Amino acid sequence: MVDCLSLTQCRALVAAWHQAMIEQRATLIALDQQIGDGDLGITMQKAFAAAANTVPGEQEGIGEYFALCGVAMAKAAPSTMGTLMATGFMRGGKALPAAAAQLDGQLLVRFFNAFTQGIADRGKARAGDKTVLDVLLPASQALSDGIDGGASPAQAVESAFRAAEQGLDATRTMLPQWGKAASFAEKGLGIVDSGGSVAVILFRVLHDFFQQSPLLP
Amino acid sequence: MKKFINAPSEYVVEMLAGIYAAHPRQLKYVADDVHCLVNAVPAVPGKVGLVTGGGSGHLPLFLGYVGEGMLDGCAVGDVFQSPSADQILNVTKAVDQGSGVLYLYGNYSGDILNFDLAAELAGFDGINTATVVGADDVGSATADRRSKRRGVAGIFFIYKIAGAAAAAGLSLEEVARLAARAGDATKTIGVALSPCIIPEVGTPAFTVAEDEMELGMGIHGEPGISTGKRESADRIIDRILPLLLDELTFSQNDQAAILLNGLGATPKDELYILYNRIHQVLAERRIAVFHVYCGEFATAMEMTGFSLSVCKLDAELKGYLAQPVNTPFFIQPRLDN
Repeated sequence: MVDCLSLTQCRALVAAWHQAMIEQRATLIALDQQIGDGDLGITMQKAFAAAANTVPGEQEGIGEYFALCGVAMAKAAPSTMGTLMATGFMRGGKALPAAAAQLDGQLLVRFFNAFTQGIADRGKARAGDKTVLDVLLPASQALSDGIDGGASPAQAVESAFRAAEQGLDATRTMLPQWGKAASFAEKGLGIVDSGGSVAVILFRVLHDFFQQSPLLP
Repeated sequence: MKKFINAPSEYVVEMLAGIYAAHPRQLKYVADDVHCLVNAVPAVPGKVGLVTGGGSGHLPLFLGYVGEGMLDGCAVGDVFQSPSADQILNVTKAVDQGSGVLYLYGNYSGDILNFDLAAELAGFDGINTATVVGADDVGSATADRRSKRRGVAGIFFIYKIAGAAAAAGLSLEEVARLAARAGDATKTIGVALSPCIIPEVGTPAFTVAEDEMELGMGIHGEPGISTGKRESADRIIDRILPLLLDELTFSQNDQAAILLNGLGATPKDELYILYNRIHQVLAERRIAVFHVYCGEFATAMEMTGFSLSVCKLDAELKGYLAQPVNTPFFIQPRLDN
């Protein structure tokens, strides 16, 4: 299992996120079409393609790399969810020490806390509003609790992934408060939040990534 | 739907192409994107840049106020939709003269999201930004929930006063302070008699019954204070003008600027019938009028209706309002005191 990520591994992680968005494109579109615009799968694929094409400069650390991924996403995918993801990466990246060359457990917590806070600041939604935050908040909390409690990064990421899945499931009973979905609030009952599904993909891929051999890639 | 268009999907792009073709000496676009509109006349080095943005369908709002004495650039969105953060950023970079850029736009969630992100991206490029959001519509939320209020035609006064302040060479902080003061001093309410049709939708998004009117309706058809039986022009003014004046306490030295704005399908004749009554009520209340703007300043496609804005002017705000402006859509000579 992986303990910490180098810049090269972070780039591989972003590529894996991009691959997952390609695979989940149709699912995300179908989910979003139930009460939204139906463009979520398209915009997420665009956003993560832009991130995957981001090349860090020679002197840059992991923080700057993630922030640049966010800038690229903002340009490529100006939808609400694209803008929120871009903000998450920019804020997460900026929260890391400028020269960080390794993403260890502590820095992973710092990244996802700032990622989540950035999305909360920009979107101005609150817990229970049936948004991506209802997945990000419990997942980043579980990650933080795991590392603080002495768990390995792989174990903490595992519990973050489980918390993300539970958070998504809990959105079934919530009434949407934001965007087009709010106009069809009742129709949203029983359906999981589409933005939250994106966040679950992030943590599922992160989890799979930490399960692989430390020598790869 | 009866409109002079070619293809609904080309509505905004063809409108912009027409604007650039008609006003080549005054307006141009940057970043190879017609949605990134800027003043073609280069700004004075060191001048604070003023950037707005918002959805199309409101001409002359927003881009119509780009020009000498007002704004430096505008990011143009699709009909009733926000421009992207990237488009806002491109305009920001083009107008920055080293002294920072002030964002002025209406209080709508899509615009807030994208302007906030653009501000963050501009920060990466070393450009300092500040933001003042127009929230003048008293019909959209009560005074104690002012942060929820929509920005409508009253943003004109923010543009005008901030534009003059920036042209006078004031700092970003000072221009932002004056823009915020202009926003606080301005209250607006709208009245609608019929809806509008978004070209790509093709049918009205809402209806107003033949014998009814909507008080406080927003410029995209957002619900306002109430739906009621249609009344005479005088009765409507008697109903709505006090709502504005009650929130603006005029002292003896203050004067009012009035913006009486047609929403797209109301003749100027009718606006002046309305103004006749506004003038009487203000005289009864002993409120001196400094200047009256009457015409189309912020429309909602072919919506029938009008909005009334009152801006309370002290000596400072009046001094900036009086400065001249020259844009393709709005010209003002220097106003005498």
